[in-house]
Amino acid sequence: MIEKDKQILISRFLITLFVILAINFFLPRMMPGDPFSTTSSNIQGEDVVVMTQEQRMYYMNYYGLDRPLPEQFITYLKNIATGDLGKSISYKMPVSDVIRIHLPWTILIVTGAIIVSTILGIALGTFSARNRKKSSDKLMMTGLIAFAEIPSFLLGIIILLIFGVYLRLFPLAGAVTPFAQYGNVLEQAGDIAYHAFLPILTLSLAQLTGVYLLTRNTLITVSTKDYIRTARAKGLGEKVVWTRHALRNALLPLVTRTGFIIGLLMGGAILVESVFSYPGIGLTLQTAVVGRDYPLIQGILLVVAISILLCNLIVDHIYRRLDPRVTV
Amino acid sequence: MSVEYLHKTRITNHTGFQRAVGYIVNIFSRFSIEGKIGLFGLFLVILMAIFAPLLSVHSPEKITGGTLEPPGTVHLLGTDELGMDIWSQICYGARMSLFIGLAVACIAGIGGGALGILAGYSGGPVDQLLMWVIDVIMALPAFPLLIVISAFMGPSILNVILLLVLFSWAKPARIARSQTLSIKTHAYITAAQNYGATPLYLLRRHILPEILPILLVLIIGITSYAIIAETGLAFLGLGDPTSKSWGMMLNYATHFGSIYFTPYWQWWLLPPLIALIILLLCLAFISRDLEKVLDPRLRQNGGV
Repeated sequence: MIEKDKQILISRFLITLFVILAINFFLPRMMPGDPFSTTSSNIQGEDVVVMTQEQRMYYMNYYGLDRPLPEQFITYLKNIATGDLGKSISYKMPVSDVIRIHLPWTILIVTGAIIVSTILGIALGTFSARNRKKSSDKLMMTGLIAFAEIPSFLLGIIILLIFGVYLRLFPLAGAVTPFAQYGNVLEQAGDIAYHAFLPILTLSLAQLTGVYLLTRNTLITVSTKDYIRTARAKGLGEKVVWTRHALRNALLPLVTRTGFIIGLLMGGAILVESVFSYPGIGLTLQTAVVGRDYPLIQGILLVVAISILLCNLIVDHIYRRLDPRVTV
Repeated sequence: MSVEYLHKTRITNHTGFQRAVGYIVNIFSRFSIEGKIGLFGLFLVILMAIFAPLLSVHSPEKITGGTLEPPGTVHLLGTDELGMDIWSQICYGARMSLFIGLAVACIAGIGGGALGILAGYSGGPVDQLLMWVIDVIMALPAFPLLIVISAFMGPSILNVILLLVLFSWAKPARIARSQTLSIKTHAYITAAQNYGATPLYLLRRHILPEILPILLVLIIGITSYAIIAETGLAFLGLGDPTSKSWGMMLNYATHFGSIYFTPYWQWWLLPPLIALIILLLCLAFISRDLEKVLDPRLRQNGGV
């Protein structure tokens, strides 16, 4: 049974991956025209270089575009497997290098947001569950639910306007101070944290409500269980009952939630990085979109999609380890 | 077909219609204060979209004033960098955002719902194929794909709507399917079938009344999803440049060099931001209250 579940999970992962690869491969080939109509003229359409039929055939042959589509697709898969994602037009270097430079910044703010939103969400959720039906719980819940309806990039603009523009507490753009000379590593880390603060705040606030509601609801369900009564009857303090007995059992759903969050955060990060001009993969994607740098766009899609799928797969796996009752 | 029969069906249709109206009124009367505020707000935005030409003096696409004029009597909310009136852009932008949101939600909700009912009712290979497609679509990372596909397809409203429909029909289809499956097992369906009820009659009389309220909740949810997604795409510069949606306004304002060092953001960036947040909050209030009123039905939809 468990082996079968694993097979289902992995086959679903592979199918989704294949669909993404296929979209990536066929999308540019479905567009009207061919690559040579764009490389043979500049953007304004001036200096048109007219290719003769022989020249066109030569280049089609050179780039392998005259082969049958299935063969091209296999070549494409081979290239990706070896880490060759093509060359970026605007950066004038391999796509994989561009991604390698910018991905760490995105990982930094996404990880930061996961940590902050999880800790804060659990703390607020526990507080809310312990004060259930009191006015503080109701107020917090209504406020946070309304808050969750604001998409992360709009929230980002508001936060930027308040902290960056109005109060002038935080920088408006960038991940480090330009041309800064750091005395030691600590100073550098401080500068990076200072720049990452607002993006992390935005992303974690956008995810906070989900964690909060899940913690609160699971805790309320758990708190009616017999073993909680037993723990109280043993004479344990309220604090120990809530943290050691209730919260520990309520943490399980949070694991899946975290995996689910990663996908949302990666999607949200693309826009939030744009708001804060934070040089992660999202901002790179935006510049690529504006500059019509198709190889880079496709490379970034691939990396983002694969990391989201992998996270989901890993989380599913961990979750089933933690709770053997779960089936697909 | 006898006259008597026609007469009878007309009566049932009539009472059915009355019942539906009564049902909807009943739902709205059970809304909380927030829900009523949401309905009122949405109503105002819809009015603003419909009567945009009456509400605004200037055309949103013509240069009618100086560059970046602050709010005043001539230009209610000031002008943008080209000297176009911002208040009229907000009014006409409401059309864009609402149109895209509602179009996507209706197509995806009704189309997805129909597919789901079909799959749930017929079962077999059709059902399996549909479930397989739904599984794949739901596992795809929607927003990154949206960006890439619309970057290739080029910015146009039709493309944006098509893409958003493609990514949002799966959920209503899935829920409609599981609802149909659970309704199908009830004894009264078998009884009706034994009395000679046709599939169409079953659909109209038993399946649709159960599923439509749930689809309504989903449609409102998809509306706000579509509005957010369209705004996000426009904000990244992937919106239709010929249409000024609220997302496009945000895009132009935030990409105006050094806007944060000037006071311009106060009347250029804030209005579309506030308008969007109000619209999304209203939709959320309505959707949550609807869900609350219809909760017992939503809870039994088979672990979606």
